[in-house]
Amino acid sequence: MERSEEYIKNERKQEWRVELQKKTKAKDRMAIERVEMHEMAPEERIKSQRVEVNIGLSKEEAMLEATRCMDCVNPTCMEGCPVSINIPKFIKNIERGDILGAAAVLKETSALPAVCGRVCPQEAQCEARCFYVEKLNLKSVAIGHLERFAADFERESGVISVPELAEPNGVKVAVIGSGPSGLSFAGDMAKSGYDVTVFEALHEIGGVLKYGIPEFRLPNAVVDVEIENLRKMGVKFITNYIVGQTASLDDLKKEGFKAFYVGSGAGLPRFMNIPGENSNGIMSSNEYLTRVNLMGADSEESDTPILRGKNVVVVGGGNTAMDSVRTAKRLGAERAMIVYRRSEEEMPARLEEVHHAKQEGIEFLTLTNPIEYIADDNHRVSQIKVQKMELGEPDASGRRRPIPMEGSEYTIDATVVVVAVGVSPNPLIPNSVEGLEVSKWGTIEVVKDKMQSSIPEVFAGGDIVRGGATVILAMGDGRKAAANMDVYLKEKYLSKKVEL
Amino acid sequence: MKEFNSLEDILDFAINEEQLAADFYTELAGKMKHQEMKNTFEQYALEELGHRAKLEAIKNGKKYKVSEAKIADLKIADYLLDVDVDKTNITYQEALILAMKKEKIAFRLYNDLASAAIDEPSKKLFLMLAQEEAKHKLRFEVEYDSNILTEN
Ligand SMILES: Cc1cc2nc3c(=O)[nH]c(=O)nc-3n(C[C@H](O)[C@H](O)[C@H](O)COP(=O)(O)OP(=O)(O)OC[C@H]3O[C@@H](n4cnc5c(N)ncnc54)[C@H](O)[C@@H]3O)c2cc1C
Ligand code: SF4
Repeated sequence: MERSEEYIKNERKQEWRVELQKKTKAKDRMAIERVEMHEMAPEERIKSQRVEVNIGLSKEEAMLEATRCMDCVNPTCMEGCPVSINIPKFIKNIERGDILGAAAVLKETSALPAVCGRVCPQEAQCEARCFYVEKLNLKSVAIGHLERFAADFERESGVISVPELAEPNGVKVAVIGSGPSGLSFAGDMAKSGYDVTVFEALHEIGGVLKYGIPEFRLPNAVVDVEIENLRKMGVKFITNYIVGQTASLDDLKKEGFKAFYVGSGAGLPRFMNIPGENSNGIMSSNEYLTRVNLMGADSEESDTPILRGKNVVVVGGGNTAMDSVRTAKRLGAERAMIVYRRSEEEMPARLEEVHHAKQEGIEFLTLTNPIEYIADDNHRVSQIKVQKMELGEPDASGRRRPIPMEGSEYTIDATVVVVAVGVSPNPLIPNSVEGLEVSKWGTIEVVKDKMQSSIPEVFAGGDIVRGGATVILAMGDGRKAAANMDVYLKEKYLSKKVEL
Repeated sequence: MKEFNSLEDILDFAINEEQLAADFYTELAGKMKHQEMKNTFEQYALEELGHRAKLEAIKNGKKYKVSEAKIADLKIADYLLDVDVDKTNITYQEALILAMKKEKIAFRLYNDLASAAIDEPSKKLFLMLAQEEAKHKLRFEVEYDSNILTEN
């Protein structure tokens, strides 16, 4: 995809864009208030795990919001987007009412715009770099909401086009893991004519999009449409198949697979290693969310119902913690609490999730750190001993790190504790493939921007390389890997020299 | 408590402690199942040898001073469970816990020795040694704070 400044500038000079630029004065654009996303009322939405909180924008609202965008000569928003979506171009298409055109622009660079529009931390990426924020000190254009709108519009219109596919070339490639990284890789490789099979350990396709992020934030239907599209493009999916256990990479090679993309994610939960952590009633966010999202453990009829509690404490401050605590609320917890050792400003969770959590009555105990779990006679957790923290002086890196306050310990009642303090890469592939270079963090080492590992036919990306990142970065890696693997395979098997 | 007859005696003791720590990590590296953890422990062993070299330089006359500034103590090591060093598949998180706890024990030792010291020069030397260990511990705690406690 050409992304030169020249290209962006020329695009901006197209007749229809110039017309729009002239149609409304900057002053009038600035006078428009930023659109507010419609939401389900908090007291209603906490009754169900599967009702989406955000409802979406109407076409009129989206077009008005798009009018706020100045179509800047130098669109800094694009620099904030990890995959450089042509933001003004898609927004201006919305302004002129060509929503399918806008969706097509998104798809030039993002494989899953309906997902990214919902889960990207826009306030820290494109929206943070919007002209409105950087120069006017006003609220940014609602880029994320508009992205979601255009992608949803396309999906609901039922005219999603299956992209044009190159002639099948007969070369078999395998994808390990069906998260956003594996899916976007699979899509691009199918487009280039490869015979693509995705192997997934779980019984559902989608990785964290299905087992981690709850439906109140990202409905499964949104993800399923994308998977269906890949199927139409000829991508094969094999579930309940653990590469490294069900079969090894070598076994797959014997079956004719010429190259591999490892997108196996970072699903290994980390714990804090404090006393009492193995008491009953304490589990990782991964287990908690997977059981609810994938196995229906929230249903009263479930064979293996999830533990419910009056007081649920979730330890952590990221998206995983927010998803867990809001799930606990929906499962009927009277008190659902976040315990986080840093301050609220440092929470890695998306701003919107923190905001929604507060609306739903989640309690936030920040600068508070668990130091011990206390169990009852049945070895079931009953209390957490915590201590208050304060931020120390900025250190060499400029970061103010939390330091315990002497004598500030106290206990909180808790019958269920969900630990969401981070994840590590899934160790199976890194540990089972001979010759694969792995970092001390357990991530697979790859050549940057090529995503090729120390084994030439093995590429990798997403959380297994980054050790816990974001959907958009995982997806971007998948696309980069596809482009580079295509070059590698064409040169090796199709005796074609390719220039990227 | 251990007795020391001279400043040189103290330094010899401390130099030996660093060497023992280096040996400990080298042995651990040898036991690890995965290459990346072997590398990690070898790296720690090298760091201990670096500390040793620093003390040897002092023994050979290099000046040192006890800094006024307090070394930050994030107290992360205080609350974590001990790591089982007989395991052959220690994770990076566990490696950091192990290392910070070792530095903390060393810090305590020198601090206690400083309190017990009768003469000013030995006290100063012990305090300097304690400060060095506090710095080493901080280095591991900061890495733990930045990379393990990501809470994401
Ligand atoms: C609860 C939660 C909420 C999040 N919220 C956000 C958010 O709001 N915004 C955001 O940008 N990011 C968010 N993230 C992070 C984001 O989801 C991840 O960065 C992203 O999903 C990584 O994609 P991936 O494709 O690399 O891996 P994953 O999505 O983890 O997918 C990996 C897949 O590989 C499979 N697998 C693993 N090993 C094998 C094997 N040996 N054989 C076969 N299959 C295997 C796994 O079962 C899994 O399905 C969140 C993460 C979690 C856990
Ligand atoms: S920076 Fe903001 S106003 Fe400028 S093009 Fe991007 S979204 Fe539009």
